Amino acid sequence: MSISDTIRVELARALVVTGIILYIPSNILPVMTMSIVGTVEPLTVLGGVEELYDSGLPLIAGVVFLASIVVPFLKLACLGWILFLHGKPVNMKERTTLLKIVQTIGSWSMVDIFLLSVLAAVGQLGALASVEARPGALFFAAVVLCSLFAAEIYKPRLIWRTKPISAA
Amino acid sequence: MIFLNLPRFETMDHSLLPENPDGAESALEVPSVHILKNQKDQTTWIPCPSCEAPCRDRVLSKGTELRCRRCGARVKIARGEYSLQPALAFSTAALFAAILANLNPILTFDVVGDTQSGWIITGVESLNGQGYWPLALLVFFASILAPLLYLSAMWYASAACFLRVPLPFARTALQWVEMMEPWNLVPVYAIATVVSVVKLRMLGNVEWQSGARWVLGMAFFSLLAANAFDCKLVGEKLTSLEAGRK
Repeated sequence: MSISDTIRVELARALVVTGIILYIPSNILPVMTMSIVGTVEPLTVLGGVEELYDSGLPLIAGVVFLASIVVPFLKLACLGWILFLHGKPVNMKERTTLLKIVQTIGSWSMVDIFLLSVLAAVGQLGALASVEARPGALFFAAVVLCSLFAAEIYKPRLIWRTKPISAA
Repeated sequence: MIFLNLPRFETMDHSLLPENPDGAESALEVPSVHILKNQKDQTTWIPCPSCEAPCRDRVLSKGTELRCRRCGARVKIARGEYSLQPALAFSTAALFAAILANLNPILTFDVVGDTQSGWIITGVESLNGQGYWPLALLVFFASILAPLLYLSAMWYASAACFLRVPLPFARTALQWVEMMEPWNLVPVYAIATVVSVVKLRMLGNVEWQSGARWVLGMAFFSLLAANAFDCKLVGEKLTSLEAGRK
C-alpha cells in the first residue's frame, strides 16, 4: 500500500479539521445514560468526570479528564500546528518530537469508549440498572479515530521535506 | 537515491563522542575502535528511520547506539545475539493472558440481588444490541482482534528468529506487527476497567473476577514484549535466514 506524500499531508489535514469539528458535539451531547432504579441520568464526558470528582475520587477523575477531554483537544491542536508548518524549515526537531509524543499518548483517549463498553457489559439489569450508549459516543469515537489516523498517516520524515522532491 | 536531495551528511554517536559543533568530519578524526574502515570511499550510509537523513554507518560495541544527528532518533542499536528471546517469552506470556482474559469474566455487578457478569465480548454484544454497531465494531477490533493479531504476529516472527528457521509468512507477520502497533490498546482497556469499577461501586456491588487479572497481565506483558521486539532487527534476521536457505 503506497500513498503519495502530497496525499498523506492532505489526508492528515482533512482528518484534523474533521476532528476539530466533531470535537464540539462530542463534548456537548451525552455519551451514555445510566438509569438506576428508575432514575434516568444522561451523562456527557465532562459530566462523568464531575461525578467522579464529587464522589471523592479526584485522582481517577483527573485521569479521565486528561484522557478524554484534554488529550483529544491537545492532540488535534498539536497536529494542527505540525501540519500548518508543513514544508516550512522552522521548529523541525520540536515537531518531530511532538509528533512522536502525539502518536504514543494518542490512544489514551480510547479510554472513554472502553469505559462505555465495560459499563454496557454489566449494566443490563433491566429496571434496576442499565447503561445505554447515546449519539455523543459516536462523535467521540469519530474524534478519536480522526486524530489516531491523522497522526499515523503523517510521517515524521515529511516534516523534514522542506522543498518538493520531483521523484520520491 | 533519495540521499542526494538532502543537504548535509553528518552523524555521530552522542554516547561515545563529545558534541562537536564543527560538524561531520570530526567523527572521522576520533581514534576510536568503534569506527570501521574510515577511508572516505568505504563509508556506508543508512537512512534515519524517522527523518531519512543519511547517517554514517559503523560497527557499534554492545550497549551503544547510533543516533541521527539531525532529528535525534535512534538509527541503530547494538543488541546481543539473544536479544530477541525476551520478545518471544513476553509475547507467549501475553498471548496466554489474552486468551484467558477473553474466556473469563472481568467483573460481576450486583444490584439488590440481581447479578450480571461481564466478559470483554459482552460489552461488544450489548453495544451492538443497542444499535451502536460502529462502536461495537471499534471496541471489538481494538480490544480483542487487534491485540490478538498483534501478539500472535509478534510471537510468530520472533519464533522464526529464535528457531533460526525462515518460517513461511514470517515477513507478513512482521508487517502485521508494524501495522497493529498503534492498535495495541490493552493497557488503555485495563485503565477503563478500573474506572468502570469505581463508577459502578456508586450504584451497587462490584466484584473483580479472574478475567481482570488476566487483562492486567496481558497489558503488562504486551508492553514488555513491544519494548523488547525490534522490527528492524527481526527484518534483518529474516533476510539473513532467507538468504541462508537459498
